Amino acid sequence: MGKYKMKIVIIEDEPVIRKELKILLEHALYEVILIEAFDHVADEILPKQADLILLDLNLPDISGFDICTQIREKSEIPIIFLTSRTSSMDELTGMLKGGDDYITKPYQAPLLLARIAAVLKRTSSSVSKELSILKVKGIELSLVQGCISSQDKKVELTKNELKILHYLFLHVGEIVPRLDLVEYLWDNQVFIDDNTLSVNIARIREKLKSIGIQDFIETKRGMGYRI
Amino acid sequence: MSFWSYVKDKFLLIVLQLVCMCILGLFLCLTGYLIANFWLIFIAWLVIFSIWLTVNWMERRRYFQKMERTLERLDQRYLLGELMPHSWHLEDKLYQKMIRKSNKAVIERIHQIEEEENDYKEYIESWVHEIKAPITSISLICENRRKQGNQEYKTIGLENQKIENYVDMALYYARLEAVYKDYMIQETSLEAVAYEVLAKNRYLLIEHQIQAEVDCPDKAYTDGKWISFLLNQMILNSVKYKSEHPLLKIYTRKTEKSVLLILEDNGIGIRKEELSRIFDKGFTGSNGRSHERATGMGLYICKKLSSKIGVDLRAESTWEKGTKMTIEFPISNYLSKM
Repeated sequence: MGKYKMKIVIIEDEPVIRKELKILLEHALYEVILIEAFDHVADEILPKQADLILLDLNLPDISGFDICTQIREKSEIPIIFLTSRTSSMDELTGMLKGGDDYITKPYQAPLLLARIAAVLKRTSSSVSKELSILKVKGIELSLVQGCISSQDKKVELTKNELKILHYLFLHVGEIVPRLDLVEYLWDNQVFIDDNTLSVNIARIREKLKSIGIQDFIETKRGMGYRI
Repeated sequence: MSFWSYVKDKFLLIVLQLVCMCILGLFLCLTGYLIANFWLIFIAWLVIFSIWLTVNWMERRRYFQKMERTLERLDQRYLLGELMPHSWHLEDKLYQKMIRKSNKAVIERIHQIEEEENDYKEYIESWVHEIKAPITSISLICENRRKQGNQEYKTIGLENQKIENYVDMALYYARLEAVYKDYMIQETSLEAVAYEVLAKNRYLLIEHQIQAEVDCPDKAYTDGKWISFLLNQMILNSVKYKSEHPLLKIYTRKTEKSVLLILEDNGIGIRKEELSRIFDKGFTGSNGRSHERATGMGLYICKKLSSKIGVDLRAESTWEKGTKMTIEFPISNYLSKM
């Protein structure tokens, strides 16, 4: 994509979590910096020009709150607390110390990524605009209007259909497994099962047919769909 | 203390007096004393003795009534020893001393138990926080590798989530008594809570081919963290006792005095005769025994918790049709006027 990668600093003392978080975030196309010694964290971080800090609260010898205070003295870089403590008091302290979000362990990976994205979106000045019209093989999917069009013909889509097509449009040429599609839909507040997915795909094909498009979505038996 | 029971208690004393009177009578007879004068002495003795008995009875009665009142007013009845009314009777003093000693032992024991319980709860809490780190590691490891098509990681991930849920139950159970310490009321979007719980369980729900509909436009003044725990337990129950083509409906309703958050499923339902007992501790019912192992703790904790945070938790169900769980948030006049 050649896009600028957001830099995220992870301050976490648990080596396994640190390593796995790095893998997770790198898969999500972020650049990751790990901090493994916690003596001069604030001084170490500032020159790195990071876009976001993930900060564990229970560090050896020092509390995440103190680190947050130290960083806040010099920088406004967004901070998300990660912690296994779940009391309201901690959450409140976190917010008062200048944290931007507060996520409790054990966190669900997609949820974590969503919260990171939300904080970055809120704080970064250069908002990378998502494309609102996707185009494949002369067929246009308009996310804003919620419709799909080919040449002059146009048909409206329901919320579910739009989301299914969106995911397929983002993976042109790939076989998208049904399970991936269902999981993507669940991540986007569409809670359907496998059978309903088939029904929705059938409806989409029906609609595509009505504007003169045939065989746009291929079914790979036992594997998934491809456009 | 009725007069009759008092007299019965003093029976020996009365007998002694009567015996003494007889002996005196006999003695006077033998010494040739006038019988008429003897009757005078006898009556005078009787009158004095009865007056003494009455006065003594009244005094004793007052003493015990006072003690009874103190006992009734006492919040902790085992503290009576410290508050017993003053008395100059030797017996009273001795009893008082002994009761005090015994009470002291009770109080010490109670303190000890309270301390042990607190230690235990604190340990559970810190243990829960510690165990969450490895659970997080496992969950991340599975998440990072499940896309490689390895089925095992998916299974491990699901099992890991079960552990997480049991751990959560232990944490919330330990916190039950001190909910007020960790309860931050704010305007909470019930929709966000529902989405969060569904997102958290999405692998499990997808695995079980479950569909869900969410329609929660209303907001409630509460602490989202506790509500999501309640909803989570309820959803896990729905999954456990699902039927074919499971569908979960989560929606809110607004009435004049309350906001309702409702979870409706089309699962196997609860038998009518068991419905009233599902919130009892350790109750598993015929469903719990025939399906996955049930501990009978989930709904018990939910019910206790809901009463602590001031919401009402109800269940309606039709056997083999489905179950409807309702969380009711009262709207306080005071709050809505503000």
